[in-house]
Amino acid sequence: MKRLVLACLLALVALAGAHELQPAYLELREGADRSIAVTWKIPYFKGRPLPIEPGFPDDWQEISEPHLTPLGNGLLFRWKMKPGESGLDGAMIRIEGPRTGLTDVLVRATLANGEATTRVLRPESPGTEISFANGGVPFMLGYLFIGIQHILLGVDHLLFVLGLLLIVDGTRMLVKTITMFTVAHSISLAIATFRIVEVPEAPLNLCIALSILFLGPEVVRKWRGGTSFTIEHPWVVAFAFGLLHGIGFASGLSVTGLPRGEIPLALLWFNIGVELGQLAFVLVSLALMRAWKVIELRWPLALRRAPGLAIGILGAYWTFDRFHAMLTAV
Amino acid sequence: MTFLAHVEAGAASGFLSGLSHPVSGLDHVIAMVAVGLWGAQLGKPAVWVLPVAFPIAMALGGMMGLMGIPLPGVEVGIAASAMVLGVMVVAAARPPLWVAAVIVGLFALFHGHAHGTELPAGANGTLYSIGFVIATGLLHAVGIAIGLIHRYDWGRPTLRGAGALVAAGGVFFLWQALA
Amino acid sequence: MPLAHLVQTGFGGFYDGLAHWALTPQDVLLVVAFALLAGLAGKQRARQLVLALPSAWLLGGLLGLLVPSLMPPELATTLSFGLVGLLVALDRRLPAAAFFALILAAAGLHGVANGSTMATTGPGWLGLVGATLAVFIAVSLIPALLVGLKKPAARVAVRVGGSWIAAASLLMIGWLFRAG
Repeated sequence: MKRLVLACLLALVALAGAHELQPAYLELREGADRSIAVTWKIPYFKGRPLPIEPGFPDDWQEISEPHLTPLGNGLLFRWKMKPGESGLDGAMIRIEGPRTGLTDVLVRATLANGEATTRVLRPESPGTEISFANGGVPFMLGYLFIGIQHILLGVDHLLFVLGLLLIVDGTRMLVKTITMFTVAHSISLAIATFRIVEVPEAPLNLCIALSILFLGPEVVRKWRGGTSFTIEHPWVVAFAFGLLHGIGFASGLSVTGLPRGEIPLALLWFNIGVELGQLAFVLVSLALMRAWKVIELRWPLALRRAPGLAIGILGAYWTFDRFHAMLTAV
Repeated sequence: MTFLAHVEAGAASGFLSGLSHPVSGLDHVIAMVAVGLWGAQLGKPAVWVLPVAFPIAMALGGMMGLMGIPLPGVEVGIAASAMVLGVMVVAAARPPLWVAAVIVGLFALFHGHAHGTELPAGANGTLYSIGFVIATGLLHAVGIAIGLIHRYDWGRPTLRGAGALVAAGGVFFLWQALA
Repeated sequence: MPLAHLVQTGFGGFYDGLAHWALTPQDVLLVVAFALLAGLAGKQRARQLVLALPSAWLLGGLLGLLVPSLMPPELATTLSFGLVGLLVALDRRLPAAAFFALILAAAGLHGVANGSTMATTGPGWLGLVGATLAVFIAVSLIPALLVGLKKPAARVAVRVGGSWIAAASLLMIGWLFRAG
């Protein structure tokens, strides 16, 4: 049984190439002469730019060559287009390419008179009509959605939260610890989004992996009935590492090109999405543990230890993987 | 939340029409409530046998209606059901449990059959069924909740009064069905 | 199946599978009916359900994934949840062998339907894992809420729930064979 569980965990490692992908970004800005200034940012996927591109209505023409700027985490293109008769308002924009299913695309359009609208294109609906009537609601829901998605697909963040759940005793301490984690990552998410502090991605990912690896031995210590600073004051650890994870969340929130005035709203909805996803994960985990106690279901020892082992093994794997990635990048 | 947007519009309307159908006809509503009233008056075990048995009997009728299996005298049966159930409540009748179950089951069959044949075309069958069953169950719950006044001294005559109202409504619907 | 077109959550196959389960009424009603049955029967049955039902589901799902043409007719998946609902309405405590056989047959059947849908509409095995996890969570949580119920009225409420599930099944069968 123990071996089986261990084998499953190792298989998990193979799957855990949890690549976090940033949303792509498309900006269309109408100039005084009705020409459209296009900004197109694509993220890297496994070290290469994601092969997707925007598709415009047939009667649109390029009037300048694309200008390429490489960024740390993707490529930025800028060029100008002449729209068809009907102009920007009401134009159908599609995202094309073989890998459109991999990421969200944030589309932002601004008219010459300053009116703006923002859309989030999701993999299942890669086209949208640019419309300036009531653009506000889908925009905010889009960020909420990206937030939920970011946390639910962020296996590393969820494992860290699970580690906290395994260490904490009692409802009071649990609420305190989860609250601290939330407060900390909200603060650092805001700081990173406003670029008050900029942290290079590779060392950050390494540190997040280390924070998970750190929890592994603590869980084991807890099994053995031992104690430590972390076990006695889990909220301190939750707060400290929460700051780190918050900067990580910021990678999922692309605000490049958003007007400064709209960033706080985008940030708020993204953060609400992250908290909703995290809360759902915590509540389901706790409800399951409680339910098994009520029906007196005792899992075999190996299975009970599996979550703790998964945290340690995956933490170690990610640490090596990201350290390796950092070295090869240099 | 976001996934719900992907459910076909027909699905949502199927559920809502299923939910609203049992409450849309007054003759159905008072008969359902009367089942609850009588069940509460009869006390254990009828108070739970009836709500457990009724949905199944009614669904059986609904199934026949959907399949187009004819059931003679449906209109008269429905109209008579409110009257008969109302009279039972007025009289505080206490037949053996199986007699009560057969009476209620028979009426349930009629009501279900009528609903089955009246099903709107194009509605989503699965969600219609679920909405329909939930609405019917809630009507029983209303009847039973009202019927709980049976345990108080002042409640028993009040309950019989409510039965008289149901019976009067039943006479009206019967007259309409026959006229 | 009315909702057989796959829901796309935009969260990838795993969550698509999870959402697909939650939006397929036959599958939800079957799992809820089993959960009510086990909840009424006590802790031992509840424990057995947590282990047996997701396993049967996964097994059937793998079969459906490998051989999508095995897709069972809707009549079968409807009858199966109606039967379990009826057992809840009657408050029957099944012997262990019958309980396991019923789980294997009914949950296995729905699993095949699930796996076959996953194979033909997109998310594949990852979707099946998501659906199985959803099922596992449901059969862990619901019986735990019920095993402590001692009041007769509370047990009756559960039985009424079972009767509603059986009724929904009958209506759906009528719908499948509707005239006109």
